[in-house]
Amino acid sequence: MIRHHPDQNMLLEYAAGNLPWAVSLSVSAHLQLCPQCRRHCENLNHLGGNLLDDSEPQPTADDALQRLLDRIEVAERQSAEEPRTATDTRADKRGSNDPALANLPRVIDKLVRNNWPLKWQRVSPALKMSRLKSGQDRYEVAFHRIGRGGKTAEHDHRGQEVVLVLHGRFSDADGVYGPGDFLVREPGEVHRPIATQDQECLCFSVVEAPVAVTGLLGWLVNPFLSFRPG
Amino acid sequence: MQVPQDRDDDWSKLLKLVGGKRDRAAFERLFNHFAPLIKGFHHSRNSQAFSADAADELVQEVMFRVWRKAPAFDAGKASASTWIYTIMRNCRIDMLRRGSRHRDAASDIEVEDIWDESPEGQPLVFLQKSRDERDIAEGLRNLPAEQSHVLKKAYMEGKSHSEISDELGLPLGTVKSRVRLALKKLQTSLIRSGAE
Repeated sequence: MIRHHPDQNMLLEYAAGNLPWAVSLSVSAHLQLCPQCRRHCENLNHLGGNLLDDSEPQPTADDALQRLLDRIEVAERQSAEEPRTATDTRADKRGSNDPALANLPRVIDKLVRNNWPLKWQRVSPALKMSRLKSGQDRYEVAFHRIGRGGKTAEHDHRGQEVVLVLHGRFSDADGVYGPGDFLVREPGEVHRPIATQDQECLCFSVVEAPVAVTGLLGWLVNPFLSFRPG
Repeated sequence: MQVPQDRDDDWSKLLKLVGGKRDRAAFERLFNHFAPLIKGFHHSRNSQAFSADAADELVQEVMFRVWRKAPAFDAGKASASTWIYTIMRNCRIDMLRRGSRHRDAASDIEVEDIWDESPEGQPLVFLQKSRDERDIAEGLRNLPAEQSHVLKKAYMEGKSHSEISDELGLPLGTVKSRVRLALKKLQTSLIRSGAE
């Protein structure tokens, strides 16, 4: 059961279209796993629909309708003449033997396909990460993969971090998190994720700024690495 | 057993005609009703999010997509207004991203991959939802001004909570709590029990 969700404010910013692209990706993936938040979002869309109904009407340009009808005319003629092209020309070249990457939410699956082959970088014995191109550069978007029972370093963030658990479970001082759980860590919140013993854990994470490593050796660590060996 | 109930408002009926029969006369009526609202949503006394020209361009793009996507309109899922709202929001995100250097071809994630309103895998109770929609309309008119003001800034001016906080000179926490109070007033079922 999913126990951690985006809050009201984040869902509203998503439904209004103001949430940063990378964070919206995470929210969208959560919605594909969580009927409860999905329903909530539909209500927020209804709110948008009602605000549209209540808007003060403004006259459009005189030729607006004619321009549009002309454009539709041209588009219809073209689509009648041209054979339909495939919508997704990129073939799926993935091997299908990775259980952590099976059954991903649709939007994450597309991200994986577009970034294939994933380049996994070993951050510590227990932790691997793979950065993902997602069409923005304000946030670092990546998969983090913690081996069975793996412990990561305690770390802090200079910016907001949003984590969506996709496979397996991990715990920290505050609780245990499983597939679909959506966590937001604000700057200054220190935590130390540990994967459960039964299986490895895959998380989709979006971090606003490079993560700072806390602790005595923090200054030695490359600030662009999310975790230090733990 | 209850079956999903279609929206029976006139605009949803017209939209179904556009989708099912590609009815141009129905589309023209929809245009005449919604185009001025779409423009007013983005550009009016209350909302200066777009210049008049940019708002006219947005109207063209939104209504073009309404024509193209009308066959996928599901009156059991949302009213015409809500459906057009989601198309309009996605268009606006597209317009704002267009020309941005971040739009690299390599990533290839589209607005509609993220703001995905397609019905796959959504077990939902439709009758309940049509009531929600009416309740929201009713509640919106009775909200205290300071609460409807932040909602309009978020939806119509496209501002994030922190942008609203900067603009109004209010602490971020105050903006967030106004949004939450507004949602709570709009409908208690909007508030997920146990969340926060």
